[in-house]
Amino acid sequence: MRTRALFASVTASAGLLVGGWQLGAQAVPDAVAISDTTSTPSTGTTSSGNSGTTGSGSTGSGSGTTGSGSTGSGASGATGTGTTSGSSATSPAPAAQEPSGQAASGSYTGSTATERFGTVTVKVTVADGKITDVSADMTARDSRSQQINTRAAALLRTEVLSAQSADVTMISGATYTSDAYLTSLQAALDQAGL
Amino acid sequence: MTTGTVPPQPLTPAPLLSAGSGSAVEPASSNAYRQRSRARAARRDWLGIATVSSAAAAVALFLSDGGAHQFGSPAAALTSLGIIAGLVATDLVCVMLLLAARLPVVDRTIGHDRALGLHGRLGKPVLYLLLAHGMFLTLGYGVDAGVDPVAETGQLWQGFGDMVWAYIGLALFVVVAVTSLVAVRRKFPYEVWFAIHLLTYAAVAASIPHQFSMGGLFAPGTAQRWYWLALYVFTGSSLLVYRLLVPVLTTLRHGIRVSNVVFEAPGVVSIEMIGRKLDRLEAAGGQFFNWRFLASNQWWHPHPFSLSAGTGQGRIRITVRNLGSGTSRLMHVRPGTRVAVEGPYGIFSEEARTQERVVLVGSGIGIGPIRALLEDLTFRPGSAVVILRASRAEDMFLHAEIADLCRRRGARLHVLAGPRSLDVPSWLPSSAAADGLDLSAFVPSAAGAEIYICGPTGWTDLVAADAADFGFPHDSIHYERFSL
Repeated sequence: MRTRALFASVTASAGLLVGGWQLGAQAVPDAVAISDTTSTPSTGTTSSGNSGTTGSGSTGSGSGTTGSGSTGSGASGATGTGTTSGSSATSPAPAAQEPSGQAASGSYTGSTATERFGTVTVKVTVADGKITDVSADMTARDSRSQQINTRAAALLRTEVLSAQSADVTMISGATYTSDAYLTSLQAALDQAGL
Repeated sequence: MTTGTVPPQPLTPAPLLSAGSGSAVEPASSNAYRQRSRARAARRDWLGIATVSSAAAAVALFLSDGGAHQFGSPAAALTSLGIIAGLVATDLVCVMLLLAARLPVVDRTIGHDRALGLHGRLGKPVLYLLLAHGMFLTLGYGVDAGVDPVAETGQLWQGFGDMVWAYIGLALFVVVAVTSLVAVRRKFPYEVWFAIHLLTYAAVAASIPHQFSMGGLFAPGTAQRWYWLALYVFTGSSLLVYRLLVPVLTTLRHGIRVSNVVFEAPGVVSIEMIGRKLDRLEAAGGQFFNWRFLASNQWWHPHPFSLSAGTGQGRIRITVRNLGSGTSRLMHVRPGTRVAVEGPYGIFSEEARTQERVVLVGSGIGIGPIRALLEDLTFRPGSAVVILRASRAEDMFLHAEIADLCRRRGARLHVLAGPRSLDVPSWLPSSAAADGLDLSAFVPSAAGAEIYICGPTGWTDLVAADAADFGFPHDSIHYERFSL
């Protein structure tokens, strides 16, 4: 390779890498900031009342590394009453209404599924036997997993709402998350008797 | 250095006359040569820049997609390094496949043999990157989960079926790379090696599932997805078109078959072939094809052979020496045998010209391509020198033909026969080497001249070194080497 071409190659590559790094460094800070601020006070407790905006309550649980936070129901700008976040146990959300006799209506929280990159707890809102909303409370090991989770949750939510069941395809690049998500979802649907 | 001694051995009366007033090819102006050469150099630069940048782009896309945050803890850093190694390896595997895909732009820019040489040199780094990919990720996941690498490997193996395929793919890559090491490769017959090399496709296929599930290469909503999809589609379709469709169509269109097999010298035959519209093959002297003689005993064995005569007069010819199992069957190929071809390939031809004057140097079986070049190159009478080299005068096949062509086109011919020198490393016969002769004894000047060298590897390197010493610029030395 001629010096000129070598120089151009190195310059182009360096430019790409720096550009990529900059984009990457700017893309996630919001999510990180949220988890940082919220994870400190709320260790394993619920932070309810916040109606469904993204990144509400979250726990600092997970693998002890870096106190990594989590996204709260990144999927939705959805209804959802208070967002629970079981540390890793399977406590149903206190804010959720219990099924009140009539054919499957209300909110149901599935068991927390633990996967290698974090945990997933799915909550479904059911009205007259129809799934009207799904939200997921996720903890993630690190910010990349968190980002993958957020993306996967959004896609899975759409799929579940249209399929009206847990019988949907896994999300590419987020196999573990999809697996855990669907497990927790199935548990919630079982509670609802769907 | 040059003592003015008469060059040794039979020196054919050097005909300088331009008897062939009908010298078919009109030489281009030196300006045109320079322009073409500059265009090729620019193409080469762009291809190089694109290749290096593609690896950088693969990493940059990962970083931009969140990877930039992943160096905080030892576990995350290990995992990220593993991912980056895998991404670069994947990118380079695509580059390797493209280098072997016979893309016309690659062939016309760096030539088929150099493309394959580069393909081979990338093999080891890619293998190391793939191994690093597996190692770093296993370590990273293991540290994170607090288990040792062995336990982590067990978990990965059991986790998803895709990972099993990934391990199989890695094992296949190792097999392919190891069998392609020069030392190992020589131990296998060509067919066996080629069959193993085809496993590359299986290795690539086996590694794809985990790129979708575990890896983020195709994660929806990312820029990576589009980059990798584009690269995969481009690589796959290039292979399909240029390694399969084009050769099959060329073969069907021209319907080439053997017309005659001519004895040239002990163990050397010329195979003449006829076919439809051979001029449309657009094969230049000095180029080669992969030939597959479709007889029951050898249809599976493609042979790379240069033309030993141009494609004019509705005929096409190669000259072949018996070098053992594969080529010995060629000695007895029957007239009428159908021939499948891939090609033409290579820029050991007019395509590579940068200068007006030419020097052609051939030895052994390399004399064949020199013969075809002599016929095809553009030059003015008196501005070409041809040097033929053989151990014995009787091995100098095609000699009469070449002498005739030299007369008609006005090229000076030197025929150097004699055993090689054992004490001095020289491409000349021992007597000439002992006299201290070198290229300058046969070529008036390196200025404004192009040199084409074709022969066995070691010999070719000696001529090329001599030419460089004599003052031929790097870009004006072209060679094609035969190795076994």
